[in-house]
Amino acid sequence: MTAVAPPALLPIIRTLVIGAYLLPRNIAVLLLRTYRAVISPLYGDVCRYYPSCSSYTLQAIQQRGLFVGTALGAYRLVRCNPWAAGGIDDVPPLRRQHFRVTRFGFVVASSQGKG
Amino acid sequence: MDIPGFISTILWPIKWVVEGLLVLFHTILSGLGMEPAEGLTWVLSIVGMVLVIRAALIPIFVKQIKSQRKMLEVAPQLKKIQDKYKGKKDQFSREAMSRETMELYKKTGTNPLSSCLPLLLQMPIFFSLFSVLNDAQKGTAGVFWLNSDLALQFGNAKLFGVAPLHESFQQATVTGDVAVMIIAVVMVILMTGSQFITQLQIMSRNQSPEAKNSPMFKQQRILLYILPLVFAFSGFSFPLGVMFYWLTSNFWTMGQQFLVIRNMPTPGSEAAKAREARLAKKGKLNVVAAADGTVNHVILEAPKTTQRQQPVGKTRAKKQGEKK
Repeated sequence: MTAVAPPALLPIIRTLVIGAYLLPRNIAVLLLRTYRAVISPLYGDVCRYYPSCSSYTLQAIQQRGLFVGTALGAYRLVRCNPWAAGGIDDVPPLRRQHFRVTRFGFVVASSQGKG
Repeated sequence: MDIPGFISTILWPIKWVVEGLLVLFHTILSGLGMEPAEGLTWVLSIVGMVLVIRAALIPIFVKQIKSQRKMLEVAPQLKKIQDKYKGKKDQFSREAMSRETMELYKKTGTNPLSSCLPLLLQMPIFFSLFSVLNDAQKGTAGVFWLNSDLALQFGNAKLFGVAPLHESFQQATVTGDVAVMIIAVVMVILMTGSQFITQLQIMSRNQSPEAKNSPMFKQQRILLYILPLVFAFSGFSFPLGVMFYWLTSNFWTMGQQFLVIRNMPTPGSEAAKAREARLAKKGKLNVVAAADGTVNHVILEAPKTTQRQQPVGKTRAKKQGEKK
């Protein structure tokens, strides 16, 4: 018997697949949000760039996923030192945004109305 | 505490330096006639290590302060940006304001922020000291300088002959070491106190009114009161040796912060006003009322010279007087 899903199940399967695909970056988003809420305020604003390193990493992970985002964030941390000029340094934008970001920062499929 | 291999590779050079300094001070102090296995010798070695590391970080700090001074020059431009976004508290205005401010810093080379590197540098020191003390009972050697004999000696060294440096308050409750408990409690109180004072100094005196209105500040305010509690609780689980590192470091930060806030406060903050008042009392401050009604404070820095002032003739003295 070939497993063909009935049409009514397709959106659910789609949501599950996309959800699984986005899970790693959403876990990272949760961790970073926690860091930004609890640890970051301890030492105030120190970053020489805008957005700050943690905000940059958060955006990078939201847009590019866990691995590329972490790499971009790590590269930014290295660049952010007392000898850097600082200034505005945004995440290199993607040509097309595939997903939507909720107010909290979770990445969800763009057609979903959750948030 | 097990640090993953990848991170410990990055930490290796820092551990190397930390251990080197620790062993160096221990050798010097022993050479000066202190008992090598004595707790006090090791504690003083820790203190020495902290002083060297913090002193080495001073140039970064000075650089930061220098650019803060330069901020006075860009203050008018900064004020323009702040006026533009006055009263606008929505997220987008705040973001646009931060962007413009950052752009201004970059353009004028006056970035007053230090980046998180100085903070990050402290962590490996803390970690390596922690692991050294933690492993000491097993006689585990450090990465280079601290051989297993020294490590064992360090971990088992007893302060005042009663309180082993590797023991934490938590462990002391099991072993029934009252001396460790008393020392730990005293240190937790000192640590919490100094941390609290440092934070309070920065927040209540060295922030501009704009920063005080931001939601970040309110968050900081809450943390100001929660943090000491967190430190107090976590302090109970750290070995005495690590606490001595923390305490020395805290005291250094407090002193450094005090000097900076007193002499180079953030423009527009309460500390800056206090400094202006002090300077005005000494007659070093000129209050210039601008045409638009705003009052500009101009700090007259007397150039420091060791040279004797040459006597001048009446007419020249008059001319010089006009310049002021």
